[in-house]
Amino acid sequence: MGKEIVAMILAGGRGTRLKALTASVAKPAVHFGGKYRIIDFPLSNCANSGIDVVGVLTQYESVLLGTYVGAGTKWGLDGKQSTAAVLPARERGGVGATWYAGTADAIYQNIGFLDEHSPEYVLILSGDHIYKMDYDKMLEAHKQKGADCTIAVLNVSLKEASRFGIMNTNPDGTVYEFDEKPEKPKSTLASMGIYIYTYQELRKYLIEDAKDEKSAHDFGMNIIPNMLADNKKLYAYEFDGYWKDVGTVESLWEANMDLLEDRELDLYNIKKDWKIYTEDTLAQPQYVGEDAQISNSIINQGCMIEGTVTGSILFGGVSVGKGAIVEDSVLMPGVLVEEGSVIRKAIIDEGVVITENSKINEDAGEVVLVSNNEG
Amino acid sequence: MAKVIGIVNLHTTTSFDGLTERRPSASVSFLGRYALIDFVLSNMSNSNIDSVGVLIQEKPRSLFKHLGGGDSWNFNSKAGGISFLYNEKYANNKKYNHDLNNLEENIHIIESVNAKYVVIAPAHILTTMNYDDMITAHEKTGARITVAYQHINNGGETFIGAQTLKVEDGIIKSFAANKGVNNECDVSLETYVINKDALCDIIRDAKKASSFFKLKDALAYYASEKKINAYEYRGYARYVDSLENYYKVSLEFLNLDISSAVFKSNWPIYTLTNDTPPAKYLKDASVKKSFIANGALINGTVENSIIGRDVEIGTGAIVKNSIIFTGAKIAEGAVVVNTIMDKRSQVKIQKDLIGDPQTPLYVKEGDVV
Repeated sequence: MGKEIVAMILAGGRGTRLKALTASVAKPAVHFGGKYRIIDFPLSNCANSGIDVVGVLTQYESVLLGTYVGAGTKWGLDGKQSTAAVLPARERGGVGATWYAGTADAIYQNIGFLDEHSPEYVLILSGDHIYKMDYDKMLEAHKQKGADCTIAVLNVSLKEASRFGIMNTNPDGTVYEFDEKPEKPKSTLASMGIYIYTYQELRKYLIEDAKDEKSAHDFGMNIIPNMLADNKKLYAYEFDGYWKDVGTVESLWEANMDLLEDRELDLYNIKKDWKIYTEDTLAQPQYVGEDAQISNSIINQGCMIEGTVTGSILFGGVSVGKGAIVEDSVLMPGVLVEEGSVIRKAIIDEGVVITENSKINEDAGEVVLVSNNEG
Repeated sequence: MAKVIGIVNLHTTTSFDGLTERRPSASVSFLGRYALIDFVLSNMSNSNIDSVGVLIQEKPRSLFKHLGGGDSWNFNSKAGGISFLYNEKYANNKKYNHDLNNLEENIHIIESVNAKYVVIAPAHILTTMNYDDMITAHEKTGARITVAYQHINNGGETFIGAQTLKVEDGIIKSFAANKGVNNECDVSLETYVINKDALCDIIRDAKKASSFFKLKDALAYYASEKKINAYEYRGYARYVDSLENYYKVSLEFLNLDISSAVFKSNWPIYTLTNDTPPAKYLKDASVKKSFIANGALINGTVENSIIGRDVEIGTGAIVKNSIIFTGAKIAEGAVVVNTIMDKRSQVKIQKDLIGDPQTPLYVKEGDVV
């Protein structure tokens, strides 16, 4: 028997605007929130939504992501009936070696994987978005409407709408037009890059699209317009909650700061129903020294704090020396802040050593990124 | 290295009062993140032992939950694994419910693995011992039994009630009990390397002397006639046999000289993962000299304390010299000093909990005060 739904997570992108942070890892593997990698969010959402076959499509720096996803154990996706499969762009029989040319092409190249599970529905996700969402509710809506494609949308402000792919809808929720980054938006329903397709419909469109040499092989630019042209039933599914696409160093910093200010993304699971699963690092509990001052901050196990930390996010193994001040900053795993240093409004990349009495962004201007890698 | 079976011996008379009412001392939470048994299991894992049996004396529920299939300690290789050894027959018969009877009942664990040596170690004596080194020493002497010991100079205060031993030329002449009279003494760490066939002999023969003989009684009994080798261990070792000692040994970790002797980068202490988010310090938090586990939400003052997973400390609350277990909640403005709060307990109404500095106040699992 086939699976009702299989999820495919697009995790191949570099995220060039994250500069040095993605110099050696793909964007979905970027650290977030003191403990997580961004891809933990869609993977945990799948696990929590009861989806147990998940393909993770990788291309840029695929080794680390492949190792990280592994057999899906971290998200409980390693049972007898479940699968977490890493699907890198690769050499295939009869085709040869190919890269993923676009989002639709990436799925097209893995039709074999999908056919094997013969799902009724396919959920397409991005590996680089931060949010908690019950995909099962979206699937219910898809089935109820008898849709060919359901697109999750977020109601954004009119000002922001020009930055997104906008879905123009009829009062019954059907989509009649897709506007990619419109100058004059007709609607404020922004596509979140989350789609549920009835698999056999999607399969036909992917095969047709693959033959089209002019196509960019992209869901937003090609598959959706083609389906609209054929009068297929496309529905917008409005999501009401925290969602963030962290495209830039600034927005990654903001999303981290949101965890301190914003209770919408409840990592602390106050409702006890939607944990985000991730890798557990080997570390003792964090130690807070006699002279430490910590407030309004999120700090992971394995840290050693002897200085002042406010408004900041500290990943595992970070050490803040005596007299050092860390304010409004994100310190990635293993960062060492030596005595007397001052860091304001910065992202300090994994493993960086801030030597004694250094001053990083002392006047707290624009967000600064410090990394051992070249951007 | 020769194939070795690890046996964690949970047969013990240690009791931490309320803390061990519903669980064995081995699964009592430690430093907000670990269970006591994590130390011995990690030592076995770090010593490349991958077949481990846990001799369970009583109250197994929390142990099963914590240990699962043993994969947190790397015991899940197909060649090894973790086995729960329980002696149902004598579960309600204190005198017979001892380690040798349990081993006899579960002798298959020893017979089925093609090993030359068995390493037996308890959970209530914390060490970071490398059993591999001890086995090497054992092999060199040609003894069939080796007992690890430590020389201490504060026997009047620690290891009270523990076994002491008298060593001559590396051979144990006799065992006794530490009555706290002498500060200088050699105490047994109840950690043994025994040739598999020698252990089988002891299991078979000990009851001929007395059916109530535990392994340590049997070793004391045989000390005069069998060659029992002594192995001196000089690293970190603590005897955790009472609530007072548990409290003392826990808070002692806040001294970095002590905790850094235990948390060495080449000797990881493994434990069960809980997918808990990092700790969150709110605007009014003030924390000094403390261990804070993940998932804690802190908006009060914490000093010289150990705060467990998912603990909530309300605005303006003060916590000093205390150990707060997983999921406990301390209401706004409460004062908690010299107290151990067990899992999911809550301070709500009686907001002044002040215990004795030697004998902490204890709030039971799930209780609201």
